Amino acid sequence: MKVLVTVKEVAEVEEDFELDGLRVADQYLDYDLNEWDEYAVEEAVQIAEESDDDVEVVAVTIGPERSEETIRMALAKGVDRAVRVWDDALDGVDLLDVGAKTRLLSAVVEDEDPDLVLTGVQANDDSFGATGVSLASAIDFEWAAVVNALDLDADGGVANVRRELEGGVEELTEVDLPAVLTIQTGINEPRYASLRGIRQAQSKEIKPLALSDLGLDAAAVESDLVLTDVYEPETESAATYFEGDAGEQAAELATVLREKGVGAQ
Amino acid sequence: MDYSLSDEQRAIREEVRRFAENEVAPVAGEYDEAEKYPAEVVRKASEMGLTGAHFPVEYGGVGYSSLENALVTEELFAVDPGIGLCITSAGFGAEAIISFGTDDQKERFLPPITEGESVMGAAISEPQAGSDVTSVRTRAEKDGDEWVINGTKMWITNGSVGDYFVVMCQTDPDADDRYAGFSQIIVEADRDGFSADKITGKMGIRASDTAELVFDDVRVPEENLVGTEGMGFLQLMQFFDETRTAVAAQAVGIAKGACERALDYAKEREQFGRSIGDFQAIQHKLAEMHTATEAARQLTYKSAWSVDNDEDQLTALASMAKEFASNVATDVADEAVQIHGGAGFVNDHDVERLYRDAKITQIYEGTTEIQKNIIARELLGKGF
Repeated sequence: MKVLVTVKEVAEVEEDFELDGLRVADQYLDYDLNEWDEYAVEEAVQIAEESDDDVEVVAVTIGPERSEETIRMALAKGVDRAVRVWDDALDGVDLLDVGAKTRLLSAVVEDEDPDLVLTGVQANDDSFGATGVSLASAIDFEWAAVVNALDLDADGGVANVRRELEGGVEELTEVDLPAVLTIQTGINEPRYASLRGIRQAQSKEIKPLALSDLGLDAAAVESDLVLTDVYEPETESAATYFEGDAGEQAAELATVLREKGVGAQ
Repeated sequence: MDYSLSDEQRAIREEVRRFAENEVAPVAGEYDEAEKYPAEVVRKASEMGLTGAHFPVEYGGVGYSSLENALVTEELFAVDPGIGLCITSAGFGAEAIISFGTDDQKERFLPPITEGESVMGAAISEPQAGSDVTSVRTRAEKDGDEWVINGTKMWITNGSVGDYFVVMCQTDPDADDRYAGFSQIIVEADRDGFSADKITGKMGIRASDTAELVFDDVRVPEENLVGTEGMGFLQLMQFFDETRTAVAAQAVGIAKGACERALDYAKEREQFGRSIGDFQAIQHKLAEMHTATEAARQLTYKSAWSVDNDEDQLTALASMAKEFASNVATDVADEAVQIHGGAGFVNDHDVERLYRDAKITQIYEGTTEIQKNIIARELLGKGF
């Protein structure tokens, strides 16, 4: 069995920063693995550890060479090998939209032929939250989004999942394999890379793939989205804290809401 | 000459720091105040492979060199020296077993440390034998196929939580040579006649366990002897350069932690309508602290590198690194408190703890004065 995990290196912005054109200036950025992907990686590694059969866990990322450092941390946590898609054509792209990501990842899926694809629910930089489901649709896999519990029956070809819906509602459902599951934070407790794992990861493969290796050309990364402006939203008002017991706080809240026009005819 | 760390070394630093920030930082103040051994944190650290990381791979370690050990130590101590010491000291004394022990001893005593099941210690100092190791009086006498041990050990790290100790014993009081006549013997804490009394009231590294050990006719089998009878002192001496390098790394970590907190505070604290980091008096302090810390770090890394690459220069370098870095740690922690002003004088801020923790690095594993003696001796070309 093979599990493919999509992972992404994301930039985290320091508290104080400056903008440089359409992006945050480099010196204010720290790069790290997307938080949701940490949980997807952990879930995949646990599937491999708990299975009696051989399970290969492969991570795939779209990212420049710099991202290898981050991806290698996933290898240190137990992922067997990684694929990194990058191309000169991607260098000039400010914002890779869901469609472009889907085209690239679909090509990797075709190449790798996994039984299960795990993605994070979203990435905490662009926060589209759509790539996993879009990928499932493109490769014609079953899918479940925002999964916060997973019990895999590989022999039966079924993933028993619990999904988080709006308003605190949860859904228990079965998804036939092959499937794409988008993984929610909290599904497990991501481990630290062990020192031994870090050493082993140094010799694990991160295979670079260009668009042509995937049978694609520059048209695959053309995006309908154009980044037009980046700005810091102005703080309009500070938070208001209500004091007193619950009754007093409720009364204060009611006053504020009424002043804002709630309940007005 | 290459000053860059390898990819693996950078990854070690990053992940150990992540562990320390998440698992150590939130509980550091609590364990310090209570003088409590953080067994749960040490267990988690062992899952990551932080206990006994320098043990050979076949016994559960990663086979780290001194440089990797220094990186791990630095990151843990930058977050909290007390708990950092608990983690890095879980395998204290194991060097003797790794280098001179039998396969059976390695099998019995090394994997439990890396697996987080046991903690060990090195029992050397005595009430009257601190810097002068040759005045050790704990006596081990052979009785049939057993050693019978009597005596008292002082300031033993992990003393009341350890499961076994490599104990420096006098086995031949009549030896002609003052360095001969000592042997290292493993004593398990559950042997009859063994007792440990926790020492409280330490100024710093209060999460780390320190105890007085009493051996009252403790009997252990003869196969608990490590290496060669009568060679204990010489066996121990071999590791002083490494252990001093490790203390230098602890000091670099403390200095790093103090530098980071001072810088953050200088940016955040406002007086006279601007952040205090805007004042040149504070800027110069920060510049000096960071410069001294970087100098201590480079000396320490060079000493660590020399453990595996240049034995000839090692002894002097290890003492220089230990002496210099421990002074930097105490000075930088002092300045970090100064930058915090009144806020740094109470334990709401970590610098108060770092200030207290820094002092021990000038004392243990050979005081600053002993280090200077060694450096001078090396310069003047005299053997010990």
